[in-house]
Amino acid sequence: MYLALFLTPWVLMYMASTFVMNHRDWFRGRPAPPPKFELERELTYNGEFPQGAEAKQIAQQILAGLEMDGAFGVQKRGDGTLLINRQDLVSPRRITYTPPDKKLTVERVVFENGAFLERFHRRRGFQQDNAIDDTWAFTVDLFIAAVMFWALSGLWMWWEMKVTRKLGALCLLAGIGLFALFLVVL
Amino acid sequence: MATSHFLRRLHLYLALSLLPWFFMYGVSSIPFSHNQYFQRLDEAKGVPLWTKRFERSYEASVPEGSELRAFGAKVIQDLGLEPGGFGAYRQNPSQVNVYIYSFLKSTQVKYFLDQKKVVVEDRRFRWDHFLTGMHAQGGFEQESFLWDLWGVLVDVVCLGMLGWIVTGIYMWWKLPATRIWGWLALSGGIVSFGYFVARL
Repeated sequence: MYLALFLTPWVLMYMASTFVMNHRDWFRGRPAPPPKFELERELTYNGEFPQGAEAKQIAQQILAGLEMDGAFGVQKRGDGTLLINRQDLVSPRRITYTPPDKKLTVERVVFENGAFLERFHRRRGFQQDNAIDDTWAFTVDLFIAAVMFWALSGLWMWWEMKVTRKLGALCLLAGIGLFALFLVVL
Repeated sequence: MATSHFLRRLHLYLALSLLPWFFMYGVSSIPFSHNQYFQRLDEAKGVPLWTKRFERSYEASVPEGSELRAFGAKVIQDLGLEPGGFGAYRQNPSQVNVYIYSFLKSTQVKYFLDQKKVVVEDRRFRWDHFLTGMHAQGGFEQESFLWDLWGVLVDVVCLGMLGWIVTGIYMWWKLPATRIWGWLALSGGIVSFGYFVARL
């Protein structure tokens, strides 16, 4: 019970985000439009990069220079332009660095409820080099373990209440039957 | 008393009916959360994921823009492939991919516009893909009654989760001896969650 109370916000978030993703037509349109960006700032980056530095290393240095360390992904275009996607649940940012003029453009994704919930739902584990992401991933694992524990302990509690066995078994068998049917036909 | 009894029974029977979905979402979250581990495990086998079924010349006009469902349906029909859920995506300016999937198997058609040919490939069964495929399925995307029914059940699972929260909180509140620890757990969860929202 206490674990369920602690994890209530996680259950609510996964429930709401699943509903939004299941009805993407209503909330975001189909296909979901690309995110809208608004310009936050433009500046010249005068820092030097180590010889032969890889895109990830350059991106890390740029983010540190902007005091925006955290989870990110990076892409290098054919012309050398670097696109850094700084992940953030509320305000993800796109940072574009063009080496010839050393220009940095920082753009923020315009907030949208549906996209925020999808980002939350999809944020998961152990792929970034920072403690907060690993901690979040650990809570996701904890949530998974809790879901399994609730399911198993619920089964045990049901079995202990003899008066509910018949109707409970009927519900359980109906659920299993319907699920198996979908497994075969879909 | 009657309300309490009703809510307890609702909590129980709803949970039992939706147990397979609950298990599926729980188990399938593991490969999502640890996808790199499962990817490495599979790569170590050294077996290709996709196997070519056939390749042949083919020509069809591809509409501009990202709405390619009608095109995907035509390709599936023209090539005589088994119908199923599908999606069509522009891989690059000269290639459109059509993915045809069921819970147990997947096929992809690669249409190369400039070469006027298609390559049809089947994906090897992988448990982690099977689970994540089920997990990610939903959304009333297919023109099919059964797929829509699955989407309805996903909604029912969402409502079930909401129902468990409401009835769970009600049942906790009815146990005065657990209130202090319950408040601590609930507020601890809300504060931790808020911290993640602010920091992630």
